[in-house]
Amino acid sequence: MKKLGGFLFIVAVLFSFAMVISAQQEEAATEEVAAAAEVPASVDMTLEMKPDKFVMPANFRGGDPDRGLVNAVEDVFYEQHEHSILYKEDAAEVADGAKFEGDPNITWDTKVKDADGNFQTVSSVNTNMAGNGGKFFAPGEYQIGNGGARQVGGAEGAEDVTTGNEDGTPGTAGGENTVEGATPGAEGNPSAGGSETVDGSLVGENGETAAGGAKTVTANQAMGVLVHDVTSPDMWIAFQEGAGNIDMATTEQELKDKMLEKIVSNLGRPFSSKAEDYEDASYVFVDEGAADERDLEPWKKTARLSVAGTLFNAAGAPKFETKVVESKPLDQEEMTSQIHIAGGEKSALKGVFVRRNVPFIFAAMSVDNGDNRGKPAEVACRIETADGNEVEKDGKAYMFRIPNFPREEYKEQPEYFFVSKALDKSGNLTTVRMPLHIVNIQAAFEGGRNK
Amino acid sequence: MKTIRIVAISAVVMFGSMVMAQEPSGAPVNLEKTPWLKGVELSPYPTNLTPTLPLAIYLENGEAIPATLTEDVPIVVVADTAIFDSDAPSKANDQEIPNPRWDASTAVSWYFIDWEKNKNFNASATPGLAANQMVVMPTTPTGKGAVTCHMARRMRYDAPEPGRSIVSYANSSGGRDVRVLDITPPLCGLEITVKDGKSGSFWPVEYPADKYPLPKTANVYFGGQLFGAVDKEIVVEGLTLGDSMIINPEQVTIGVAATDQLTIRVIGGDNYKLDNAKVKFGICNGAGGEPSPVGPINEETLDLSKITIPENAYIYIDAADTTGNRQVLFVPLNVVK
Repeated sequence: MKKLGGFLFIVAVLFSFAMVISAQQEEAATEEVAAAAEVPASVDMTLEMKPDKFVMPANFRGGDPDRGLVNAVEDVFYEQHEHSILYKEDAAEVADGAKFEGDPNITWDTKVKDADGNFQTVSSVNTNMAGNGGKFFAPGEYQIGNGGARQVGGAEGAEDVTTGNEDGTPGTAGGENTVEGATPGAEGNPSAGGSETVDGSLVGENGETAAGGAKTVTANQAMGVLVHDVTSPDMWIAFQEGAGNIDMATTEQELKDKMLEKIVSNLGRPFSSKAEDYEDASYVFVDEGAADERDLEPWKKTARLSVAGTLFNAAGAPKFETKVVESKPLDQEEMTSQIHIAGGEKSALKGVFVRRNVPFIFAAMSVDNGDNRGKPAEVACRIETADGNEVEKDGKAYMFRIPNFPREEYKEQPEYFFVSKALDKSGNLTTVRMPLHIVNIQAAFEGGRNK
Repeated sequence: MKTIRIVAISAVVMFGSMVMAQEPSGAPVNLEKTPWLKGVELSPYPTNLTPTLPLAIYLENGEAIPATLTEDVPIVVVADTAIFDSDAPSKANDQEIPNPRWDASTAVSWYFIDWEKNKNFNASATPGLAANQMVVMPTTPTGKGAVTCHMARRMRYDAPEPGRSIVSYANSSGGRDVRVLDITPPLCGLEITVKDGKSGSFWPVEYPADKYPLPKTANVYFGGQLFGAVDKEIVVEGLTLGDSMIINPEQVTIGVAATDQLTIRVIGGDNYKLDNAKVKFGICNGAGGEPSPVGPINEETLDLSKITIPENAYIYIDAADTTGNRQVLFVPLNVVK
């Protein structure tokens, strides 16, 4: 047994030596090949999102796990890393005998996929760093690209910086890029259009070749990122009372058309903060807020409630009021959000106050950051009783003949609520439920406004 | 038996350690020499099948890109690469890619790199060009530059598990080394301080920027009490940027007393390399052509009482860059006796 052990030991040692010799031979052979090899024009690169708790699983929100996109959420900081042999200290892996001449040039590109499936550049940042971080401020499909380049010299092919055509024939230095009227070159410098020596190397300042004998070698890699929407949609609700002699159906359509146009042009924000701009109709705005309130991290998200016009107080006084409201997680796992505006006595939104015997209409629209607030959608909304039964229109408009406010005076009258709900494609929700008060003020039909 | 086990394990360990020693990915990173890798925890070697395709850059007409480009002169460049082929590449680093197919369109980026500053510039996007074309306008003169193109296209190939697939990217990039000739004259001005008196400065600004075709034009700005421009600068617009930039007396005048002492400092510079040896300033007789100096040249302090000031006096700044572009700017000098 001891003999067998000794034999095996010798075999193991010999095997190891054999492997080393073999490896060295292979290395030598590779060196021979490399010595003859030119500096390549481009090399491989790797690129990855740094693991983070907000890098969502492959099947996030029911997505195809083979989709091949990194699942991320908007408004959260992510870090990306990339690497290449072009970024190493030693250029030997690029080509044998090669040397890096200077630092690499590194650019991080973020492109977003447009409706036609093409990638449009969102940002291009020349950081010269292999690590990069940032937030995606809007949902969508992105492509993170890293472009790297470095000057490599010292090996065969590194002087290949001439103007020669690809077939090796001399090129036309200056060619179409010459300038008539350019100042003639100073001593030692070429005139406009440059000059080319017989061997093809360029003569530049101080007689050096254009690129100092080095060649630009490039590398790039890309990564797809699907950024999910975690922001509730913006919602606009408008109420408009009608004079007795107008067609309320036409008025309703006009109101919707106006909202469609303004909600897009104002990116969901109130179109005015002046109360006098809301004489025709009164509005409730629920939106992501002013510039510094937008794009907050999911756990910090808020919304802004604004009420404008004459229908949000019992006296019909025109006003524009605005305040920040909370956004709450709707589904922790899916990372969806909900903004719920509950109007009432204790709320900033007391309710909507309409006059008895005055017809009124309402409409609600929403826009979502999921499509850059570019496609307004009509929002489901209705008036319902406290037990949830929908109240129908009285002809072409809503109209109540018996007041129910103040409540202590009209306890026997039913309570009414206005409800609306906007849901984006990702499941983020904005909801409003506020009392609808019918006040006992005589109508002033000729004005069409509740002054 | 125990000995056999030890020997066998030793052999495996020895063999394994030798393989490890040849694996370069574990090499430590010297952040002093490669600071751009700070915080990077990633191997430079791709583990999935991500092909790198060759890319060649030509001029629109098929000719090679000139080795010397001219500042502000646009060229249309074309990238030739298999990334636009109908079939996705079937090999990555000599490995077969099982059932490769494209999964998205190609994302394209073009840059002009100024290696002297190690800074790059996005190529201008021009509508109406093919996906592999771009207008590149080098706006920065440099002795070492490169036009580079980077493309990536998402592809998909079969995973070992039946019915499943893997996404990777085909990449294609390349560069052409060029230098960019400076055709913009220097933009130098002067800062003038009267001893115990007013001060002011004037300087030209290329406008419109990166103008082509030639000639380049500039607006000249005057600011400070010396020019009566404290709250708002006086702007003389539309001068040809070159060796005969003359401000007329009705536009702006430098008003000083015959006994004043002026301290003069050159401001501004060149968009590439100013030839400091050729920078001259002082008082001259008349404007236009070669300046006819009156009194000392390039003196930081001028004692006007020691200079015979001609009737048609100007203060001038004459500057040239290393390429030979020259700027001479004349500003009228009104000396009150």
